[in-house]
This record gives sequence, C-alpha cells and structure tokens, in this order.
Amino acid sequence: MHNRFVALLVVVSSVVFAQGRTTLEISGANFRPMPLAVAAPLTQDEGSKAPAVEFDAALMYDFAACGLFQVLDRKGFLADAKEGVTASTIQFARWTDVGAESLVKTQLSIDGANVRGDLRLFAVASGREELKVSESAPSSNPRLLAHKLANAVYKFYTKETGPFETRIAFTRKSASGRDVFVSDWDGKNAARITNGDVNVLPALVPGGGVAFTSYRSKKPFLFVAKGSGDPQQLVGKGSMVTGASFSPDGKRLAVSISEGENAEIYGGGADGSNLAKITDTKFFLNTSPSWSPDGKRLAFVSNRAGTPQIYVMGADGSNQKRLTFQGNYNTTPSWSPRGDIIAFTARDERNAFDLFTVNVENSKVTRLTQDASGNEEPVFSPNGRLIMFTSTRGGGRGLHVMTFDGNNQIALPMEKGDVNTPDWAP
Amino acid sequence: MFVGLSVAGHVLAVGVWLVLGWLFAGPRMELDQKPIKASLVRLGKPRDDKLLPRKEEEPPPPPPKKVEEVPVVGPKPPDTAIKIPSKDAKPEKEQKKNLFDALNKTGKQAKPEELEGEADGDPNGDAAKQEGEKYYGLLRSVVKRNYDVSNTIDEAERRRLRAEVAFRIGNAGELLDVDVTKPSGNELFDEAVLAAVKKAAPFTPPPEHIRDELKKNGVAIVFTP
Repeated sequence: MHNRFVALLVVVSSVVFAQGRTTLEISGANFRPMPLAVAAPLTQDEGSKAPAVEFDAALMYDFAACGLFQVLDRKGFLADAKEGVTASTIQFARWTDVGAESLVKTQLSIDGANVRGDLRLFAVASGREELKVSESAPSSNPRLLAHKLANAVYKFYTKETGPFETRIAFTRKSASGRDVFVSDWDGKNAARITNGDVNVLPALVPGGGVAFTSYRSKKPFLFVAKGSGDPQQLVGKGSMVTGASFSPDGKRLAVSISEGENAEIYGGGADGSNLAKITDTKFFLNTSPSWSPDGKRLAFVSNRAGTPQIYVMGADGSNQKRLTFQGNYNTTPSWSPRGDIIAFTARDERNAFDLFTVNVENSKVTRLTQDASGNEEPVFSPNGRLIMFTSTRGGGRGLHVMTFDGNNQIALPMEKGDVNTPDWAP
Repeated sequence: MFVGLSVAGHVLAVGVWLVLGWLFAGPRMELDQKPIKASLVRLGKPRDDKLLPRKEEEPPPPPPKKVEEVPVVGPKPPDTAIKIPSKDAKPEKEQKKNLFDALNKTGKQAKPEELEGEADGDPNGDAAKQEGEKYYGLLRSVVKRNYDVSNTIDEAERRRLRAEVAFRIGNAGELLDVDVTKPSGNELFDEAVLAAVKKAAPFTPPPEHIRDELKKNGVAIVFTP
C-alpha cells in the first residue's frame, strides 16, 4: 500500500495542468540501432557487375558492424529488386512494411579505370531523400568505394568521421613464426609487412608505417616499416623493447624497455631519439603504454602492487596513479580517443579473459564481454565509438569489433587462425 | 501343509500391520490444504568489491528476426492461418479493426484497481480524482514502453533534445489525433516520439470523468532522452 502511494505521488508530481490540457513528462528513451534497409546495388553497365559483388559485401558489413544500424535481411524485402533509386520511383510503403526506417539505394557505373557509385539515403516514413552522394574508386578496389559511401552515411547521422577508411595492424601466425599485417578496417586488403621471424605488438605510426617488436636481430628490438623498404631498427636498448605506442600527433613514442626482471616505460621522439625513462620501480614491470587523446598522459600496466593493474601518469612520468583495484590480472590498456574511458583485458575469478573499461575520472569498471570464450587486446577506433579485440569464440583466434559499451559484437570478415594484438589508426 | 502355514502366517502379519497402522496413525491428511510452495533463495553475500563486475543482464539479444517472405507452396493454408502479406496485397483494414476491437475488449476488462482509503483522506472521497491520475500514470507507462529512439543521434545532441506531443483519446481509448506540438529540431527524435504515442495506441478506455477532457483538450507529453 505504501509503495503504491509513493508511486502515485511520483505520477502526480509529473502531471502538470496547463492550458486546460494535462501535460506529462517522459524521459529515459531506449536508444537502439536504427532499422536500415540496404537495397542490392543497381548496375548501369556490364563492367560494373563484377565489382558490385565486393562493393555490396563491404557496404553491408560497414553498416552492420558500426553499431548504429540494424541492417535488415534482404530475404524479407517486399519491394521489386528493379525498383528505381529516386524518391518518385520508390514504393515506400513496402519498405515500411519490412520495418525499415531508413533506406539506402546505390547505383554503380564504370568510369574509365574507376568504378563510380551513387548513393541515396531516404527517410522511409516521410519518403524524403536525405542524402545524395557520389564517390569513385579504382575498379580493382570496389571495397574502397563502399567504405567512402558508408562514411558519408555515417557522417550524415553522427556528424563525425566514420571508421570505414581507417587501417588496422595485427599479427598472424605463419609457418616460420609470426608476421605483421596492415589492412583496411575490416581486415580486407591485408598487406604482409614482415616475412619470416617472430614479429609482435604492431603499432601504427600516425601518417603511415608500422612499428613492431621483431626477433629478426639477436634481441627483440623495435623496428619500423615504412613504404616498401626493409624494416629499420627504431629502438635497440636493454634486453627487450615492447609495447610501442605513438602519440596521437605522431611526434612522440612511448615504449617499454626490459632489463633482467625489470621493465620501465621510456618516452622520446617518434624516431626513437632522446629516450628517457619515465617510470622507475627497480624490481617491477611497467609495460603497454597507451596515450591519452591530448597526448598529455599515458595509461600503462604495472605490477608494483603485486599484481598487474592499470595505471595512469603524466607523459613525463608525473602523478602516477593506480586506476584499477578490482581483479588481479589487468593488462593491455587502450585509451579512448574520446578521453573518458580506458579499455583493458582482465582475467576474472573464473579465469576467463574478458574486456572491461575503466572510467578515468571515477575509476568505475564496466564489463563489456562475458560468457563468450576468451576476449583480449582491445583497441579503440580513431573516433572512439568502436572497440576491436581478439576473441576465441567460434574456434580459432580472430578479430571482432563491438561498440564502446560492448554491444553489437561481430567478427571481421577475415580468415580466422592465430590473429593477435590489433592496432587501429586513422 | 507348508503352503497352508505360510499363507496363514502372511495373513496374520498383514493383519497385525493393518491393526497397528490404524492404532498409531498420524494426523489425517488434509485434502483441502493448499500446496506449500518452496523456492530456493540465495542467501549469499554481496559480490566482493575486489572482484571484477559481472553483467547483471545478459548482453542484449541480437536484433529481432527480420520479416521473411515465405513462399507458399502446395495447397492453400486454411483460413485460420495468419496471412503473410503478399507484394500486392493491401493492408486488410477489416482484420486490423478486429484486432483493435479485441484489444479494446481486453483493455476494458483491465479496470483500474480500487484504491484503499487513507486515514486523512477527503471525507467526500477522491476516488475519481485518483483514478484520473492513475490513468495518466498508465498512459505514461505504455507510451514509455514504446519510446525507442535511434542511436544514430549524436550523444552531444541528445542532451538538448526536448519535444512535446499532444494527442486526443476517444471514449474507447482510441487515438483520435496526434501531433508534435513543440518539435525538438531533430527530425529523428520527433519521429520517434510521435511513433511512441502511435504504437502505444489504442489505450485503455479512460475513466468517465476525464473522458470529455481527453476527447476535447487531449493530453500532452514532453519527451526528453
């Protein structure tokens, strides 16, 4: 009875009588992905039919994986497959009937060595064209065309640059060791950077190139590969150089250098010059630095309190502060480009590896993955809306992507196998 | 001979057992007694602060299954089967009407619960007023259940969104008209709040004393994310 009375009071308090009409207030919307229908691309000439297949696959994946949309299954579409691409030729009722709120129509044509794509975005309820955009890309790379057009749609809704033309780096086990690859954001168009030996922990260099720890010389030191030339040694110091991370402006480098039982974080120029020790704990390990978006701070892992935990400090080593106090095995921090949270891998009390975020201001830990095999090595997209990670779900270790809050977990459309340590850069 | 002795012995043993059972019977079985429900409750201690958090809810389910066009093969399904919209079929108004009627009927049955009196309540009774307030509470909760907004809306913009929707309700709880009276400036949001009201209709029939008001002036809802 008491509860009922309180509930009634709450209702009454939110009822306002004004202008002869009762006004209620409602907040707490359920934010959910927008139901989006993507019609199969229309081809205007014979030559665009072949690239249309890859184009379509890339466009569908971009929309499905970005977390903004619920891409509707084409099998349910009621509209004629030959339906036009202009508002006057579209029967919007048929798109409403399948639950679409927005509709994407594309048309491809060949333009010399390029394939040209025209995309139109419609609001289904009002039947209005909201966006019309044209892009082109080499006919040999129709996926790039899809990424450009998907980015235009992404920007239309979020006013932010989309993640679809960014690049990622990762390593994959090879017959003779482990190789570094750099690819499109979806793992496609992967270029092998190393050939043989064991190469680990790739870090994309802002503006081009990739650095990684390689066993190609006697000790595992830091190398960088730019263009098509052979990798060059960037840092060779101590017994091992790992966890390279470049500041967002591309000017500075943070790296962990081991000597015996001890590992310290060093900071210096992006070319490996002027390296200076910025942690100093003698008998402990300090590894895996990750820059804050403003380049003023670093997140890192330290076992100075007995177990590996996430710490933050100024880029010069000042104000070192422990951020995680839950769990006893927290590693691989990645600082969100939005600045507010740091994603990391943790081993929980069930010995499961899962992904978490910790709020930089209030240290609140939030779980992102649970009961879905092992999940490790998170890295944020350059716009901070997505997290890429490795997972052993579905057999084999492969790359997956999800929204920053753990929703819409989806595998990259690439061959699984022993894929590790992704990095993600503009 | 032995068989005879054995049978006599058994008969005697059964007889003794029956007599003893009758003499020392427990309390009579209560046939009208309601079953005792037992449920397991966890008395466990709260999760250790030192442990990493677990998700209380399972991760959100995958998006609902898409509408699939099912090819109808062979003999026609009986009339009672749910009809799958064909490409050219128009929405069957009749069918929709029946559905709404059925919903209205169930709505009518769901009478608002009678409220108990308060010690310091109005001596002349304020049941009608309370019933009206309760009805508005009900409106709020059914509309809120349908308050789905696309997450394509930028987080920065979400903070400033505010829209007012006004609508009128008929005697049977039907939606007479609905309009965004104060748009937020974000079309997606405005469409979402309009859809929230439309999807929530038809409503439970309003109590008698506010019917005129709901039919004439209607009700407005201010939505914020």
